Amino acid sequence: MSAGLPSPVFVAPPPGYMPSALHDPFEAHVGPLFERTEADGTRIFAFIADPRHVDETGAVHEGMLMTFADAFIGGAANHAAGGDCVTLSMQASFLAEARTGDVIECRTQVDRVTRAIIFASGRFSVRGEDVMTATSLWKVLGAR
Amino acid sequence: MSPSTVDTSGFGAYAGPVLRAESGGPFLFEIGAHHLNGADRLHGGMMMALASIVLGEIAKETARTRTPDAQVKPLSLNCDFVSAGEKGETVEGRAEVTRATRTVLFMSGELRVGSRILMTATGVYAIGEPAAQ
Repeated sequence: MSAGLPSPVFVAPPPGYMPSALHDPFEAHVGPLFERTEADGTRIFAFIADPRHVDETGAVHEGMLMTFADAFIGGAANHAAGGDCVTLSMQASFLAEARTGDVIECRTQVDRVTRAIIFASGRFSVRGEDVMTATSLWKVLGAR
Repeated sequence: MSPSTVDTSGFGAYAGPVLRAESGGPFLFEIGAHHLNGADRLHGGMMMALASIVLGEIAKETARTRTPDAQVKPLSLNCDFVSAGEKGETVEGRAEVTRATRTVLFMSGELRVGSRILMTATGVYAIGEPAAQ
């Protein structure tokens, strides 16, 4: 795996996190994004909200949260499929606001794997409180 | 009338620009190299961000016909990825209000390039007073 694309700004990782290698230009544009692996192998992803990520009220923009979701729920779908997937559908519920300086963490789950379709979801939290949940459907490229 | 930029917030400006040629007209977005995924198509996150900006702008406009400085917040967004977008294409976004209650707006919209639909989206928005937030 190559080091990935550079992000336009440097952000120090949150404690315990490493920068994620990003291969999609738009993810690099909004990044850097980070990840860590827990003792049981669970991967957790994060970004630190900065002024590039917020809406006119100062809350993290839903488009940024859904970009973060697409990047890492998609990563979980790719891993489950053993190849590349494309997003078919994503539904997000916005439970609470995140603000500049907050570390938004993402935990992903693969809910069902079929030959052609992956069902996957994610929880997004700040200091342990959920700010967004997302469910999604992915098409496994090449599968019929 | 020259196009004006909508959603000039931090993220709207950084991910955009998203333009609107005239009041009541479609929203316009040109796909640049930094909006792509690793397969050189419009990134799914950017597509959902664009849909959220289009639905959110129409929701805000609708809420402000009743309360001039009302704010809206998305409670839920559902985005279906119908086809892919490519660099250099201009995406047109449209949205409409399905139902407005005193506190909630049901929105529906789509993104397209010419006659090709990229995304259909629905969203539920809460209407709030700025002072209450």
